[in-house]
Amino acid sequence: MKHVFCSVALLALSQSVPAAEPLDSIAARMARPAVIRGGFEQTKDVSGFAKPLRSQGRFLVAQDKGVLWDTQRPFASQLKLTRNDIVATQNGNVSFQLNAGKEPTVRVITELMFSLLNGNLDTLANHFRVEGKLSGRTWTLQLTPKQTALMRVMQHVELSGDQFVRSIRIDESNGDRTRITFSPQDGTAPRLSREEEKRFD
Amino acid sequence: MIAVTVFNGWYWLGGHYRLETDILAMLPQDSRDTQVRDATRKLADSAARRIVVLVGAPRWSEARDAGDRYAAALARSGAPVTLRYTVTDQESAGWIDFYSPYRQQLLTSAQVDMLGRESTPALAQRALAGLYQPMGMPRLGRWQEDPLNLFGQWLGERAGQSRIRVVDERLSLSTPTRSYALIMLEQNSPAFSVSGNLSPLLDQTAREVRRHAPDVDIVTAGIPLFAAAAASQAQHEVHTIGAGSLLGIILLTVLAFNGLRPRLLVTVSLFAGLGTAITVTALLFGKLHLITLVFGASLIGVAENYGNNYYAYRLGRPASERWAMLRQQRGVMCLAFMTTAIGYALLALTPFPGLMQMAVFSVSGLLAAFLTVLLCLPYVDAGTLPFNRFAHRIGGLYTLWPDMTRRRNALLAGAACLLILLAGLFSIKTNDDIRLLQNASPRLIQEQRQVGQLLDMPSPGQFFLIEGASPELVLQREEALKSRLAPLLVAGEIKGVQSVSDWVPSARRQCANFAKLEQTIYAPGGVVDQVNRQLGETEQPRVTRTCQPLSIDSWLASPVSEPLRAQWLGKLGKQYASIVMLRGLDNPAKLPALHTLAQEPGVRFIDKVAEISALLAHYRQLMSGVIVLSYALVFGMLWWHFGRQAWRALLPTALASLLTIALLAVTGHPIQLFNILALLLILGMGVDYGVFLLAETGENKHRAFLSVTLAAAGTLLAFGLLALSATPALSAFGLTMLLGISLAWWLNPFFMPPPPSNHSR
Repeated sequence: MKHVFCSVALLALSQSVPAAEPLDSIAARMARPAVIRGGFEQTKDVSGFAKPLRSQGRFLVAQDKGVLWDTQRPFASQLKLTRNDIVATQNGNVSFQLNAGKEPTVRVITELMFSLLNGNLDTLANHFRVEGKLSGRTWTLQLTPKQTALMRVMQHVELSGDQFVRSIRIDESNGDRTRITFSPQDGTAPRLSREEEKRFD
Repeated sequence: MIAVTVFNGWYWLGGHYRLETDILAMLPQDSRDTQVRDATRKLADSAARRIVVLVGAPRWSEARDAGDRYAAALARSGAPVTLRYTVTDQESAGWIDFYSPYRQQLLTSAQVDMLGRESTPALAQRALAGLYQPMGMPRLGRWQEDPLNLFGQWLGERAGQSRIRVVDERLSLSTPTRSYALIMLEQNSPAFSVSGNLSPLLDQTAREVRRHAPDVDIVTAGIPLFAAAAASQAQHEVHTIGAGSLLGIILLTVLAFNGLRPRLLVTVSLFAGLGTAITVTALLFGKLHLITLVFGASLIGVAENYGNNYYAYRLGRPASERWAMLRQQRGVMCLAFMTTAIGYALLALTPFPGLMQMAVFSVSGLLAAFLTVLLCLPYVDAGTLPFNRFAHRIGGLYTLWPDMTRRRNALLAGAACLLILLAGLFSIKTNDDIRLLQNASPRLIQEQRQVGQLLDMPSPGQFFLIEGASPELVLQREEALKSRLAPLLVAGEIKGVQSVSDWVPSARRQCANFAKLEQTIYAPGGVVDQVNRQLGETEQPRVTRTCQPLSIDSWLASPVSEPLRAQWLGKLGKQYASIVMLRGLDNPAKLPALHTLAQEPGVRFIDKVAEISALLAHYRQLMSGVIVLSYALVFGMLWWHFGRQAWRALLPTALASLLTIALLAVTGHPIQLFNILALLLILGMGVDYGVFLLAETGENKHRAFLSVTLAAAGTLLAFGLLALSATPALSAFGLTMLLGISLAWWLNPFFMPPPPSNHSR
């Protein structure tokens, strides 16, 4: 349902902006495996901090379930993202939990993050003005929030990749900058392991 | 009379009428609970004119387009409504700017718990972990000012209290399977006027939208729709039933009195009465209550008796005798008038403004109709009126009544009556539940429920009323109440609490939050300091060092307060007051627990539904008392006129009333206010029958019986037919009238003294 809705939004966009033609090619280029696994490296420039914060770990995106984000360094923590909630755990204890039932904003956030990680252009076009550029096998997308409310939080997002999203750059309105690069594994098992399934439950 | 006509023309046609429909307006004026009344009225006013329209489709784009079409069609129609549908981007983001300056003073109760429970190192660890997470609640402002992102969560919790969202600059709502565009309508015309009935327009607009998009469903809800439906149904019934009864009455009197002229003149007297009643009531009270109008207008039907009586004696007599005849009849007519008026005059002694209004309305109306018959009718009534066969036959029916002086007949009848009364006594029950009086269409109720569920709206009928000498005290009491409600929320007994102090905490709470944050987050050794040290950073938070609480006044002045503004009642009398509303209060079994929670100074649990039902019960009891007292006074008057025979004029009506109640009880009808109201009318009319019959002997008895029969038939046609009404109040009233008047008419002849000699005819 969401899918069709977003295509409609995208269609409207592609009619008004002639430069949107690359978007279709980019979308066509994206591989959409049921499961993506890989490693990540995150660099965060926090406004007022002299040094960037660096972390790394592994991630998993399951199309119909959500996202698992395991930070391994500098210290271990886990983040689980589904349509309905965001749960962060550290040393086995829940350090924070946001539930969409209680705070509907959470659904927008999870949807947004989910589509950023798997490059779901349709959903992104919902919240952002999207401009795309193709060069050879790789592409870059520039995202600008449509709504003032979102603009308060996020100023600009840049996505780039090939058949996968390779890097994300988020410029927050408070001056914080986050860059994440992904190294997705090719030929990863297309189904969740029993242990991974359990984590989503 | 001209003055009365002119006033009524101005009043109704000129649109000056103010018809009161709020049943609470009938509460005693000097009640100590004026606050409660003001509170509920203020709350009701804001809701009474609002209609919510939800346009739903499987996909948002469809819902949005259909919503756009709906809003445009409605705007084009020029209907007297204000539309609220679009919200500019600026407006929807504006509330963040409004609250930002106060962020150091705003904490959710979960946050207060967390800050109290966890050690500063543990909080610092949380903040550090959060820094490494790629996502979470969006952060507003720099990390140093809010390392735990408390403000973001506070805003999230506020947003979570409403399910309405702004998407594409439109109000929207979504469920897992459907998206809805939300259109709010505010009716500009008075909420209860029938002319302002928007339903046909809304239905037509909905049909139009659905023609373009068949997948779209449109649900509407709001008090104006219920009011309009009830009003148009009542109007429709009064029209059809009224037309039927008018036809019957005209036919009857035309046949009996040889032509239309007498009928017209009797009708003139009725209108004179009604017009005067409206004029006097409107001038004295400023506005007319709907119940007064319904009850009072029906009472004017009693005035029919006087005109009928006049004509029953005019029949077969030359026009020249009419003055002498009237002189002769004047005494009896006066008595009939007095016995009727006395009951209504008694109503004025009760402390209820509603009943007082009814009293003024009824007595002034009756008097005017009575005087019209007595003083005006003879002037315009010239010519001869033959005593025709039809009239003779009706009058002659009187001889058919069995002779009750025969012991066997009397015993038999007495035993039958006693049996019915006893059966009634054992099965009588009362029910004053206001919900009995509701008869909205199932579709309206279903849509109202659906909208209530989709919007997750708080219950409008039950809430807490908080009072205090200052706004600050009110807010503090709200907060104390909310902490007492917390266990119920956890247990799922109620789903949510909606209060002003969620958005503007008391200054005391704000400054306590401020101090807590200062101590645990910003001070040396606090969360920022500890994280900085672990990361080797030095940047200090730029925060305010004094607490500057957000005040209720600046909140009220800002557009952000719009959704909850109605709950802040401001100054009521010497006190400030607010309302705390509850969501998910669907089970009446939970109400006692809420009553218990209100056992604190300045906190009251208001159950409006129960309150109105209690009011109806009070009215019912009071009216019953008035009726008993009226019987005593009427008996006194009858005694003064008829001496020892007085009981003959009163007992049939009393018996008829008792039998009516017994029959209603036996057939399973609960007794409520509207049955009792009818009993007062039955007293007024039934005693007239007795008086007219008792005052005459010989051939004149037949004239009296003709007059009584025509009056009873007219009353039955006018009000008895209301028993067919689908409006519960009208139907209860009509059924009681039907039984009571029939019985009073039927019983009266039994109680008359036997004729001195055997009369033929």
